[in-house]
Amino acid sequence: MSDSILVLDRVTKRFAGHTAVDELSLEVPAGVIYGLLGPNGAGKTTTIRMIMNILIPDTGRVRLFGGEGTARDYASRIGFLPEERGLYPKMRVLDVLTFLAEVKGLDRRAARAQSSDWLSRLGLQDWSLHKVRDLSKGMQQKVQFIATMLHEPDLVLLDEPFSGLDPVNADMLLETVLDLKRRGKTILFSTHIMEQAEKLCDHLCIIARGRKLVDGTLGHVKETHGGRHVTVAFDGAQGNAAAVFADRRLVARVEDFGQYAELELAANADAQEILRSLVGSGARLARFELTAPSLHKIFVDLVGPDAMTAVAQERGAHAHA
Amino acid sequence: MHKVFAVIRREFIERVRTRMFWVMALLGPLFFGALIFMPILLSRAGGVKRIAVVDGTTDSTGRQVVGALGATHAVFPTRVHAGGDVIDSLTLEVSEKRLDGFLILTDALADSGKAEYRASNVSAFATNAAIEGTLSQVANAVRLERAGVNPRIVAASHIRIDMETKKISGTRTTGENAAQSFSLAYFMAIILYMSILLYGVNVMSSVLEEKTTRIVEVLVSSLRPFELMVGKLLGVGAVSLFQFLIWGVSARALISQRTRLFGSQNFQDAGQVFQMPAVSADTAVVFIAYFLGGFLLYSSMYAAVGAISSSEQEARQAQQPVNFMLIISFMAMFALLNDPGSQLAVVLSMIPFSAPIAMPVRWAAGNLPWQEVAVSLAILAVSIVGVTWVAARIYRVGILMTGKRPSVKEMVRWVRVG
Repeated sequence: MSDSILVLDRVTKRFAGHTAVDELSLEVPAGVIYGLLGPNGAGKTTTIRMIMNILIPDTGRVRLFGGEGTARDYASRIGFLPEERGLYPKMRVLDVLTFLAEVKGLDRRAARAQSSDWLSRLGLQDWSLHKVRDLSKGMQQKVQFIATMLHEPDLVLLDEPFSGLDPVNADMLLETVLDLKRRGKTILFSTHIMEQAEKLCDHLCIIARGRKLVDGTLGHVKETHGGRHVTVAFDGAQGNAAAVFADRRLVARVEDFGQYAELELAANADAQEILRSLVGSGARLARFELTAPSLHKIFVDLVGPDAMTAVAQERGAHAHA
Repeated sequence: MHKVFAVIRREFIERVRTRMFWVMALLGPLFFGALIFMPILLSRAGGVKRIAVVDGTTDSTGRQVVGALGATHAVFPTRVHAGGDVIDSLTLEVSEKRLDGFLILTDALADSGKAEYRASNVSAFATNAAIEGTLSQVANAVRLERAGVNPRIVAASHIRIDMETKKISGTRTTGENAAQSFSLAYFMAIILYMSILLYGVNVMSSVLEEKTTRIVEVLVSSLRPFELMVGKLLGVGAVSLFQFLIWGVSARALISQRTRLFGSQNFQDAGQVFQMPAVSADTAVVFIAYFLGGFLLYSSMYAAVGAISSSEQEARQAQQPVNFMLIISFMAMFALLNDPGSQLAVVLSMIPFSAPIAMPVRWAAGNLPWQEVAVSLAILAVSIVGVTWVAARIYRVGILMTGKRPSVKEMVRWVRVG
């Protein structure tokens, strides 16, 4: 993809004792919301840190905006929300934002104007002259989002953006991210919560133990990895449905709940044929629906229960930059 | 460059905005003023001592002593006859604070130079010196008269000596005296030591704050760790210069008002221990040069200390080796003042870690060739580059590291690998 805004090419990072990221390759097209999904300790934060040039990959390379520079060279075009949040507690809100924008390359006047603007937009204008530590946790989170986005970056990297958010701020963040996308920005975020990923992502990549398990568009992933499913509900008479369900040429797996059943189609089986067979067997149907599996199910199937409980090894690992 | 400037400005403005800065700015001169004026105030606070003279002499020596003591204005003497329980009753007087002390005189004063002074406070040096001086004068006169010298000649032989010391600086003889040189060296050492420590630790806390809040991840993805560190050093350094400016201006004001504040006569008498030195332009330049050198050298080490620590407690521990070097340099001041030209003094003023304090002290205390200062500054400058380079490498890795503090071996590897 030539319009990829971010490309990782066989990137590997080892720490003493283990490989945090193993030959990971991915491409983030411009203008999408990209989910980097994986259980704790999968290497998401290490990956994002390598993209941000905070860590240097042992092998492989990171390419941003199709150029040769590192994230630092493109600082003005990238917004970054680290996994662990923090601001200068003793500084005034407006000053923190101005400073962080200046560091991103904005000149002071623009930085101040943008900061005020964003503070009003998120309802914090009355707090701009208060010290950060006087703000509630929720308000501090808002300030941190503003710091990530106020220099109008083309690429926004959010490491576990929803962790620790109250529902109101989570919605606010969701809105902000969708708004960024509408304005043509690219967003990459990491999470281990699949419900959020399913709502937001166009593209995604699932990793576990530092390796890529699957990537592509949400639709593509569902199609290729979720299998095809049919939900059947009976309206009284079931006829000889049991025989149809038992036909391994049509149905790979069935969960029969009596009046209701979930089928996974066999490879190459046609859902229409099942419908014909069921009607032919004398069953009366209230519902016959082709369904896609949830991302959560795909994730659990792919990653397996082992990896779900994998310890978060990347914490506490030494950063050898 | 724009980004580094943003870091410098943040460090400067945030620090100057703190209450702590203004407390230091205002209390600093008060503190130094106290050091300067305390001797004056103390000697005045003592006032005239009321003492009794227990006269056990068999001739007129006792009377002469009482007369001479009265003439010093340092004590107000009353003559009492020796004998009976006079000592006990006087002791009671002293303990009830109706009397400051009493002097016991016998013929031993003129015979073998012995006398005894009992008082509630025997460490009032000015009083002791006045009494002792008077006794010695009277005893001398009595002995001379006994030897047959005409009393008028004895009286005429009394002369008060007032020795004036002058420092030779280069080929010039300055108006500065020994006490002034001493106090100048002393003040410079104290101010250098405290400022380098204070602002070095400031740099350390600033590094630590960014590390513990994790804001450093956002910062180093926008500017190089080295730029961040340099920005900090320069920002905090600018704060310290601003502080000195405030101190300098207020010190000038204080000094110009000293006569009005304390009265000229008292000032002359009491300034024996500490005197206001004349701070020449040369001295100011040397002071600022070594302060900046010392600050840059030490604060880059403090920055590295902040980077390898993950909490205030850890940093307090990790900073000990750096503090130690600074403390040794400060303690060495006393040896340097004694003999500013000694081998030890020369060595200490060349070693970059002690030079920032040792060299200004030597400069203030003695006649120092410019060449030595130049060599010492050159060594210091080269060391700053070297130490900053090493510190920056430790800093770069340390600020992004979490978990336990790295071992020395690990740090050596960071520096080597870069």
